[in-house]
Amino acid sequence: MAVRILVVDDHPVVRHGLRTLLGANPEWEIVEEAEDGFEALDKVARLHPDVVVLDITMPRMSGLEACRQIRKLAPESEVLMVTQHDSPQMMHEALAAGARGYVVKSNAARDLLAAVEAVSQHKHFTALLNSGAELESGLNQGGK
Amino acid sequence: MKLRILIADDHEVVRRGMCTLLQAHEGWEICGEASDGRDAVEKAKQLKPDVVILDIGMPNLNGLAATRQLTQQDPHCRIIVLTITDSDQVIREALDAGARGFVLKSDAGRDLVSAVEALSRNRMFFTPRVNDMVLAGFLDRDRNPASHAAPRLPELTPREREVIQLLAEGKSSKEVASLLNLSTKTAETHRSNIMRKLGFHSIRDLVVYAVKNNIIQVQVPTPTQSAGQGTAA
Repeated sequence: MAVRILVVDDHPVVRHGLRTLLGANPEWEIVEEAEDGFEALDKVARLHPDVVVLDITMPRMSGLEACRQIRKLAPESEVLMVTQHDSPQMMHEALAAGARGYVVKSNAARDLLAAVEAVSQHKHFTALLNSGAELESGLNQGGK
Repeated sequence: MKLRILIADDHEVVRRGMCTLLQAHEGWEICGEASDGRDAVEKAKQLKPDVVILDIGMPNLNGLAATRQLTQQDPHCRIIVLTITDSDQVIREALDAGARGFVLKSDAGRDLVSAVEALSRNRMFFTPRVNDMVLAGFLDRDRNPASHAAPRLPELTPREREVIQLLAEGKSSKEVASLLNLSTKTAETHRSNIMRKLGFHSIRDLVVYAVKNNIIQVQVPTPTQSAGQGTAA
């Protein structure tokens, strides 16, 4: 089934890169892009994507705050954080904010496809740089 | 003949984005990719690209140090540095190192193609802020030449700058030696010389120095990003 994805990052070059990587799966559709948290909220409300690929460090509204609001606004939309913060603490903050997945940008090429696949099925996916990816094996739909 | 471009960034997602942007331009090709400065210097030697695009904040050898090595290797090397900040110090160091193009990552979607076009015609490309700063620097130099006589930082050799970055990234003398193809004793000598020159007594001082002088870049979350911790939706 097609997965509808919203890509949110303040750097266009990163959005281009994410599009290229996500384009590897022909069944996924990038429905829109946003360059900050406010724009992301607006587009989530309008488009109800299955997955929001969300940066953390952005101007105006951080990805963590955007994540909290997205989860309230559209609980059916899952959030995958794609960030340069290779930090367990930041990962825990992201999960506490409602993110379903967490991927470090420098490993995005390795982890992004598997992470989108997992979170689109409402499973957790987390991966820091020096650890293997952790995918919650059981279905985890109770958190929705 | 195609314009051959080497791109270097530690984030593959950024490299993919740059490839997409640049390959859409007829007559350009990405001849190689590098994931850190050392890799970029090696690949530039092998591939002889027409233009090199280097991220500043890369591990092992940052973009500024790589720029210095590349221009030492080939003074005509055309280098664009890609950075998240256009602070005065970063701009000054990039220009001193020999970069001829300066693009903010946030503006790369708009400026990167223009920057490559400019350098391919042997011109320079700077953001408006860098242009202003370069102009202000020239004017200030004319008005107050004495203020430009004093060195800003203690004289460090290019090798010492490489060692500082690796130590500040948490590598041991043994690891530094292995990465730079030196004996452990030579790496330790570099370390002692650096500490003496800079008047430091601990590795903590060195890390602070490396961060302040953009030898390594540390991403610190802004307060708003930590606010509301634990308020899971």
